[in-house]
Amino acid sequence: MTNSINEIAQAQVILVSGSNTTEAHPQVARRMFDAIDRGAKLIVIDPRRTRLAEHAHIHLAIRPGSDIPLLNAMMRIILDENLADDLFIEMRTENYHALRDMLYQLDLDETAEITGVPLAKISAAAQLYARAQKAVVCYCLGVTQHICGTNNVQSIANLAMLTGHVEKEFTGVDPLRGQNNVQGACDMGALPGHFPSYQPVNTAEYRTKFEQAWGTELSGTPGLSLMEMTHSGPQGAIRGMLIMGENPMLSDPNLKKVEATLKNLDLLVVSDIFLTETAALADVVFPAASFAEKTGTFTNSERRVQMVRQVIPPLGSCRSDGEIIMALSQVMGYDMRYESMAEVMEEIALLAPIYGGMFHDRIEGCWGLQWPCWNRDHAGTSFLHKYYFTRGRGHFVPATHEAAAELPDADFPFILNTGRVYHQYHTGTMTRQSSSLNREASEALLEVNPQDAARLGLRTGDWVELSSRRGSATVKAHITEQVAKGSVYTSFHFPAVAINLLTSDARDPKAQCPEYKVSAVRLEKINP
Amino acid sequence: MNDHYILKKDHLNSLLRRLMKEYRLVAPTKNPHGDTLFSIIDSIEQAHIDLASQPQGSIKPFLFPQQEVLFDYEHSATIDYHFEHTPDSIPTAFFGVRSCDLSAVLYMDVIFSQKKRDPYYFEKRNEAIIISLACNEPFANCFCNATKTGPFLEYGFDLQLTDLNDRFMVETGRAKGCEIVKRFQHFFEPVEERDSKAQYQAFLEARSHFKQQVHVEQAIKRLAREPIPEEIWESLSLRCQDCGGCAYLCPTCTCFTITDLATSASSGRRIRSWDACTFSGFTRMAGGHNPINSRTHSIKQRFLHKLKYDVQEHGRPSCVGCGRCVGICFGGVDIIRFINKACGQN
Repeated sequence: MTNSINEIAQAQVILVSGSNTTEAHPQVARRMFDAIDRGAKLIVIDPRRTRLAEHAHIHLAIRPGSDIPLLNAMMRIILDENLADDLFIEMRTENYHALRDMLYQLDLDETAEITGVPLAKISAAAQLYARAQKAVVCYCLGVTQHICGTNNVQSIANLAMLTGHVEKEFTGVDPLRGQNNVQGACDMGALPGHFPSYQPVNTAEYRTKFEQAWGTELSGTPGLSLMEMTHSGPQGAIRGMLIMGENPMLSDPNLKKVEATLKNLDLLVVSDIFLTETAALADVVFPAASFAEKTGTFTNSERRVQMVRQVIPPLGSCRSDGEIIMALSQVMGYDMRYESMAEVMEEIALLAPIYGGMFHDRIEGCWGLQWPCWNRDHAGTSFLHKYYFTRGRGHFVPATHEAAAELPDADFPFILNTGRVYHQYHTGTMTRQSSSLNREASEALLEVNPQDAARLGLRTGDWVELSSRRGSATVKAHITEQVAKGSVYTSFHFPAVAINLLTSDARDPKAQCPEYKVSAVRLEKINP
Repeated sequence: MNDHYILKKDHLNSLLRRLMKEYRLVAPTKNPHGDTLFSIIDSIEQAHIDLASQPQGSIKPFLFPQQEVLFDYEHSATIDYHFEHTPDSIPTAFFGVRSCDLSAVLYMDVIFSQKKRDPYYFEKRNEAIIISLACNEPFANCFCNATKTGPFLEYGFDLQLTDLNDRFMVETGRAKGCEIVKRFQHFFEPVEERDSKAQYQAFLEARSHFKQQVHVEQAIKRLAREPIPEEIWESLSLRCQDCGGCAYLCPTCTCFTITDLATSASSGRRIRSWDACTFSGFTRMAGGHNPINSRTHSIKQRFLHKLKYDVQEHGRPSCVGCGRCVGICFGGVDIIRFINKACGQN
């Protein structure tokens, strides 16, 4: 997030795209409600009528996968209405002409037609967003999980820069991170091509720095992305895997491919706190310690690094992730030894510039620090891109519509969209252990629009055989107007309905993020 | 008529230490992370007793724990069902309980003794001594003046303390409080006229320090008279995130669910845990039908229970005005907002 979460409460206009905020990020939704109470206007871009969409002043119920046409139409309207921030564009950005030329070639009616949203509504949203003094964009996986995910995000950035809605407090672009420490994992280089603090592995200067610190030779070739690994196939180049705290046997798309890959490895080692669907396939399972059994830091969506403290000793033979890695590396001939997590943090401060001033003694007893925090005297950064963008000037990258990899057709006439429910978390490794959470949501429900349901003779509670070109699952129907006609929606938390057997593994060529949000499927009612 | 005494603040720790010899002491304590919670005090020196902040939770969990083992059971071919209950009844002195939280305990006394007395609650309650602290300075979300459960009480406490700067005015209420004064007489001095005046003054001033204007009486009357417009239920329920935080923190929410946890094929334990009417699973039936639309009416039961059904049943609302649900709610679906809406304000 370029903003801090609390800033959202002060925004005048909040544009939410592809985020079921109330269910997936309730603490962020809380700030949105605060803002609405203060008179802020809410625009929601979502094919589904989510709970947040019911609070929206404008709900743009786009067809799945039409984010770019929508954002382009909004930008064109902003140009036509003379609402672009010329001074900001001049002072802070580059490549504006490419965007402008593309926008002027757009046929607005045609573009609106692709999105399925009336042009007047798009225009109202564009003007509302552009006219605000303080406007934030919050987006989530509904934007990124498409084959054009990177372009979707760039188009959001284009919109924010075109209107100058960055670099100030209460204005910005906020991707909402889905896990407590996914930001921290990226920051620490759990990416194919980067060392901690986003220092590329193929730059000799950075590589030398880490080689000196770790006393070993490091590769300058970027590694593989998640999908390139879990979908590498039975004869893939990868022969062994260590999977920590991840459950690809439920979370990755086109599960049959994942299963074929994992089952044919020479060695699969899984470290998790419960025996997950993935761990069940492993040759060796390491019992990992839970949050309550370890000390360290988590970095949240707003780049805030906070302490997590051990409150109970590890149960049974559990060990923390850090200890597991150290023990493994010692066995494998690299003598990795850290006396404490504080020592690890000191090394992070030394090697990762954005964490330069973060030491345990500074983040203890307070709400932590937000990166970039360059040195011990630095107070951290509540919002990004003040005075200049990290890369210098903000670069406009115009994008044009790209249809989803798999569109509905006669055989598979529905669009399947997948997401999350409030009471379960990701593959449910932890939440499915809780009886009260399971009482609230214990099974996947397939949301079907009433018009489609009437045609198929479906009623809430009926069982449906849902199939795609890749696989099928049996799921209970839930008839609701939350989904548009022609679309169905369900969650992926439950192994009984392993919906990722069906999802498409087409992916964005740049980010390698799979298109979970659009797969063509067929529904058949199962008669009891 | 309550008796009045003076306890100098200099001697408070000494009195508490004396009480700790006979009772488990529970008081609002600030932990190293800055949160004030009712906690068991092992050492007066090491605990940071905090009487200046509102404790984040009430003393409900000590009398009605979030999870409680009712009994262990065993059954086999040779023995018939065998049940065993291990009582949890440690004599406990609760110190620094605010008027609202004490009123909530009085409400729980009623709830847990309808028809049949709840043995699990009363085994703890009967061993409790409650030393309350009147509120000279209400906290940000307090409105106990509107629910008539504070800031000072006239009955229900064992002892009630009023802060008079360097001293506490001590009032005896129930017999256990009188007994403490009698047993530890040397701590308590007679009241002078200026002390009574100071207490009266504190009493008057506290009433004008409330930051919230909440028209509880008006809402109760309206609820008794006519149904609340559907839009109000819907607009609030849509913001409810179904976290149950309000019910868990509420000092008077006492709904529970019972689960049997098998520990082997022939033995197990029966557990009682907190539940909340805002959860969809609270009312959903086995076939999946839910008589309450959890999307549009999730909070209806909660507010009607507090402000209508309990008024019909017990003659008074079961909201004690502590304001905790105001601070905890993700969606701003708190009782103050509801009361204001019910009274036609926004």
